[in-house]
Amino acid sequence: MTHVSYRAKGEPPYEADVDYVVIGSGAGGAAAASTLSRAGASVAIVEAGAWRDPNDYPNSTYGSFRDLMDDWGAQLAMGRAIWPIVQARTMGGTTVINSAICVRTPADVFDRWERESGIGGTASGRGALRDRVWAHQDAIERELSVEEVPVAARGRSNELAFLGAQKAGFPDSHYMRRYVKGCIGSGQCLQGCRALKKQSTNITLVPEVEAKGLVLSSAPVEKIVIDGRRATGVRGHFVHPRTRARGASFHVRAKKAVLVAASVTHTPVLLMASGVKNRALGKGFRAHPGTGVFGCYADPVDQNVGATQGWASTGFREHPGLKLETLAIPLELVASRFSGGGIELMKRISEYRHVAMWCHAVRAESVGSISRNFFSGKPQVSYGLDHADMLKFREGMYLLAKQHVAAGAKELITGIAGMPYKMQPNEIEKLKDAPLDPRAYIAILSHLFGGAVMGSNPNESVTDGRGRVHGYEGLVVCDAAVIPSNLGVNPQHTIMGLARTFAEDLLEA
Amino acid sequence: MCAFYPRTDELPGLEDTGIDAFLVQFRRETTSLMWLGVLAGTFVYFVSPLITIFVPLPAFLLTKRLRDKHAFNLGAHPIYLVRQTAMLVKLPAGLCWGRHPDVRAKFALPPLPPDPDTWRTT
Repeated sequence: MTHVSYRAKGEPPYEADVDYVVIGSGAGGAAAASTLSRAGASVAIVEAGAWRDPNDYPNSTYGSFRDLMDDWGAQLAMGRAIWPIVQARTMGGTTVINSAICVRTPADVFDRWERESGIGGTASGRGALRDRVWAHQDAIERELSVEEVPVAARGRSNELAFLGAQKAGFPDSHYMRRYVKGCIGSGQCLQGCRALKKQSTNITLVPEVEAKGLVLSSAPVEKIVIDGRRATGVRGHFVHPRTRARGASFHVRAKKAVLVAASVTHTPVLLMASGVKNRALGKGFRAHPGTGVFGCYADPVDQNVGATQGWASTGFREHPGLKLETLAIPLELVASRFSGGGIELMKRISEYRHVAMWCHAVRAESVGSISRNFFSGKPQVSYGLDHADMLKFREGMYLLAKQHVAAGAKELITGIAGMPYKMQPNEIEKLKDAPLDPRAYIAILSHLFGGAVMGSNPNESVTDGRGRVHGYEGLVVCDAAVIPSNLGVNPQHTIMGLARTFAEDLLEA
Repeated sequence: MCAFYPRTDELPGLEDTGIDAFLVQFRRETTSLMWLGVLAGTFVYFVSPLITIFVPLPAFLLTKRLRDKHAFNLGAHPIYLVRQTAMLVKLPAGLCWGRHPDVRAKFALPPLPPDPDTWRTT
């Protein structure tokens, strides 16, 4: 049972030998590591962020940016509009700061992967990958106590969303199923669940791996060591969680394989920095861009009471290509969603208790890329939405407004530049003519895919259908970077199912 | 920063929430890129009254009323990049303002305990 945290400069270099090194401890890394560890292999998880237990979690949004987010949440996708990317950098990865939403990979996703990327239908017949991923997802749901948001933890925003969707006739309106055991609705999903209810990997799978193996924290991998065409370990330097001072070096050798699950933005950049040559590396970046519409209600909604995200509809996934869900925005961030400044902005903020924010996530087909910044070495994301995706984006705004009106909202705040700040319920048809310029919207990219996509053709993909990097031995990618298409649903369950499948393949090999 | 979150009859302003101490902490703890963003946003705020309220003066020479109008127009400016510079200031200022107990009390939110800033060392 070994956990190695920050070691200062001047201390001897840390060295270790294991069967498998897993880079990253989020959904992909932790799922793969636990599978390997359970099979009796010696496993080391190497995580760039610090290991914070629920007692260490910050209380404020400031603390969340500082302690849990990658680069203070300042990672941006650059296109016509500049939209932030939400990713964590802590033990447990983004599972610590997300809403733990569990959605099984839709069957059509596997069909598409087989049709367009030539994966999933080999070895044991058509649908093999799908069946294996689903079997792992069944097991993960049991292990991580997946349950529907309990009645007492729903909060008014989620209940209003359910009511509005019902009245508006939205398909597949439901309270979410999440990796949460006995949610008490403390509304702190985004800061990490101090109530120990969210089953993020830092309190579930990572301790399980640590019990039999090795976990390094505050240890960003700088380079995967590749001898010839074989990955043999990882190297880097510890970084102090508070001061960011560079500490002692570490070198963890892998007898069998190195698994990379450093996130969609970091995985391709780490492979590039390690000298992996592949023309598809950094290509095929996709995301779920999304934004929210506020409804103003006569009685207080108090959106931060209850589950941060508790309601969703996947009924628009096929057409127009959207997912709708609730999201409670912390008081600290609400001004960033309201336009203007000064006394008028304060008047707008003063309505905070009476507003509910519901969001859409676009199943966008637009494709971007990830490169390595020449100066900083950090990931650089280029991404923009094409016209077809902007049409979906706009339709999402209309659907959310319609849902608010059906739920009894007195007024709507869309945050669209160039449109009135507030809209009356009888004016929502105007949203059908809202601008299609992404710069008119304040959006974020919440779910990321690609950058090291899987496929059967080594000229168009980075890994094969088992996550193995083409042309290299003992080098596997097991996070959302391998996903070659937009899922249209929250990706954690897919990432975990795929990672476990890839780990199982490694054990069989 | 304070011009974006002024004190009103209903709510405390940024100046009531310990912004000076916050900025010292923020500068010490944040990345250089984030800090640079705050400086850039502040610089644009000072030099841009001409494009927001058509007054050829730096913001610190404006009357209180004009300063307020300038802050509003900057944050709602039709040019995207200008609007985004206001965001560079509004975001960190909001992190300070929104965590203050007096502000939270106005929204029926409990005070936040201090952030532990701790992690596992063994």
